[in-house]
Amino acid sequence: MTAFLHIYPYLIAGWIFLCGLYGIATSKHLVHMVISLAVMQTSTYVLLLNIGYRVHGAAPVFVGVSPGTVTVDPVVQALMLTDIVVEATIMALMLAMADRAHDRAGTLSPDDLRMMRG
Amino acid sequence: MLPYPALPVAVPLLIAALLSGLRKWLPRWVADALAILTAAACLLFSSMLVVLSRDHNIIYWFGNWAPRGHMALGIGFEVSPVGAGLAALAALLTLLALMYSWRAIESGLNLYQPLMLIFLAAMSGFALTADLFNLFVFFELMSTAAFALCGLKVSEPAPLQGAFNFAITNTVGAFFILTGIALVYAATGALNMAQIGLQIGSRHDSLVAVACTFLISGFLIKAAIVPFHFWLPDAHSVAPTPVCVLFSGLMVELGAYAVLRISIVLFGDAVSPPLAPMRIPLLVLGSLSVIWCGLMCFAQHHLKRILAFSTISHAGAMLIGVAIGTPVAVTGWLLYLFSHAMAKGGLFFLAGILLHRLRSMSEPVLHARGRPLRFTALLWLAGGFALIGFPPFGIGDGEDLIAASIHTHGLEIWVSFLFFFTGALTAGAVFRVFLRVFLGLGEKGPSDRASQIGEVPEDKEEEQKVPARLFIPALICILLSAAPEAIAHSKDALLFVVNRFVSQTAYIHAIYGQPFALPAAHLPATAGLARDLAALAFAVLIASAAVFRKRLPRALRLATHLEGRFFHFRRIQSGHPGDYVVWAMVGFVFVGGCLYLLS
Repeated sequence: MTAFLHIYPYLIAGWIFLCGLYGIATSKHLVHMVISLAVMQTSTYVLLLNIGYRVHGAAPVFVGVSPGTVTVDPVVQALMLTDIVVEATIMALMLAMADRAHDRAGTLSPDDLRMMRG
Repeated sequence: MLPYPALPVAVPLLIAALLSGLRKWLPRWVADALAILTAAACLLFSSMLVVLSRDHNIIYWFGNWAPRGHMALGIGFEVSPVGAGLAALAALLTLLALMYSWRAIESGLNLYQPLMLIFLAAMSGFALTADLFNLFVFFELMSTAAFALCGLKVSEPAPLQGAFNFAITNTVGAFFILTGIALVYAATGALNMAQIGLQIGSRHDSLVAVACTFLISGFLIKAAIVPFHFWLPDAHSVAPTPVCVLFSGLMVELGAYAVLRISIVLFGDAVSPPLAPMRIPLLVLGSLSVIWCGLMCFAQHHLKRILAFSTISHAGAMLIGVAIGTPVAVTGWLLYLFSHAMAKGGLFFLAGILLHRLRSMSEPVLHARGRPLRFTALLWLAGGFALIGFPPFGIGDGEDLIAASIHTHGLEIWVSFLFFFTGALTAGAVFRVFLRVFLGLGEKGPSDRASQIGEVPEDKEEEQKVPARLFIPALICILLSAAPEAIAHSKDALLFVVNRFVSQTAYIHAIYGQPFALPAAHLPATAGLARDLAALAFAVLIASAAVFRKRLPRALRLATHLEGRFFHFRRIQSGHPGDYVVWAMVGFVFVGGCLYLLS
């Protein structure tokens, strides 16, 4: 059971990654595609949180705590925060592009926006 | 300690912030001049770093967070001459691109210049950093600036679509990299690349293999290697010309640089020596890229798409040098990279001149209309020779060194064939355009849907002659493509610094400030003139066979098949980013399978 609990978060992360991938691969709508990308990104959060997790670890605030107290890893949380900031920028940029594409071409379906085939 | 290693990153970022803050009040020429001055200053800083780091890598810790024992918590730059050289190349290309766009290219209310500077800063940081997560942040910064630059012409649907495909595929690549970084951190508890290398050591288990697969696949998406490459032609055919120069010239190659860096420094002892399990997937994918995109390149009829596919074909050839990974092969790779960046940059600038003067990028539409542009025609022809690497152009030198560094006879013949193939087909397409557009020979030639991507010319004024600001960057590029040959002892000097670059031990010792002496490497004897001549002959042959196909007997119309209508494989380039991501997963499974089965 412990072994299963140990591997369970990795399976969840993999599952979310594949869900996002399925969404992108079958998408018929640019906004849906961006959301699928956001779903895919969530899998990296689950993975990072799991890697930084310590059993019975406290929050990584080192004020008034005796040295040697077990805390969860603050480095992965910093990584995650940076990643959230970066990806928010990219999502915003892509949504803006989808919006402009709708203005210019009158459609949000990637199948209608395929002038670059071949 | 003086913060000079941070200058090539910090200065363009600060000026970019200034320019974007003041963009509504600054006249166009002030913004352009400031951007050009900044790029020139970056070129100076990076060249200075190359000189200063010649004998010892420069280590710079931000905020003086130097490592305690083996624990490197701070973020550092490790300036090697190779990294600084790539940063200098980034600055040079940006400088030429900004000269080209001087007061002319539609700049989206002066947003273009700050984006270019951010792009430059990200590329420099990517080449210099010693921290794995910092590498990812610069990767994302580079990508974001690139997406925005690619879709700069928001008034048309095609650039938006190209930028969207580019953004989806590369962001999936970024998730691959982030997952890889998380797994590496889980395995080692470190983010500094040298410390990770030290901790992984010769440890080899499934966690390391999976992390390696994620990292390599993510960077191969940026490196546009088949089957990760589909975003590149879409992005290149719609991006503004100066942006294409930066994409093809350096951004794609930086993906291969990251692959090399990671396989040496992180997994040098675990997966690499002698890079054996990694070598097979890289060689297979590189060969696939050369052949597949060489054929696709000849099948295109949109000038920028021809050049885009030719970039993938050459990126595959360059990946061979990365896969071999010995000092001589990496020296060859760097020579190839520099000469290719210059040749391809020159060709893109020339395509931009055609777009400026003749208002189209489609080969059938441009037929015979390039006749008055004599100097442009001459440079275009020289660009074709540069893609083959015909002496005095430097790509041939790089190919010779990579081929000479292989000691297995069968593999050496195969790699020589690949170099012949990429030169012959990509130059063949360039010569075909030369014959049709500049000489007006043959008839118009086939058209296709992708060649009709409407492109609004990038600048408004209609001039009767090619202005110098367009012509001079193209001329400089083509001339510099022959520079490695012209400078005496350039190869020996390069080999001296590369010898240190490809050694994991030397890298780790430098980070911890310990002296380390390496045995010197020596240049092997090379011979490649026969290959270059064969490639030239074949390129001229297929180009003229395509142009004069009506005069050929039916049985000999091979080039017609190569050239388009019968090329059903082109449907795989579907234009739907979902398909591109699925192909990237196929490549991921291939890389992972190879690493798993071979190790």
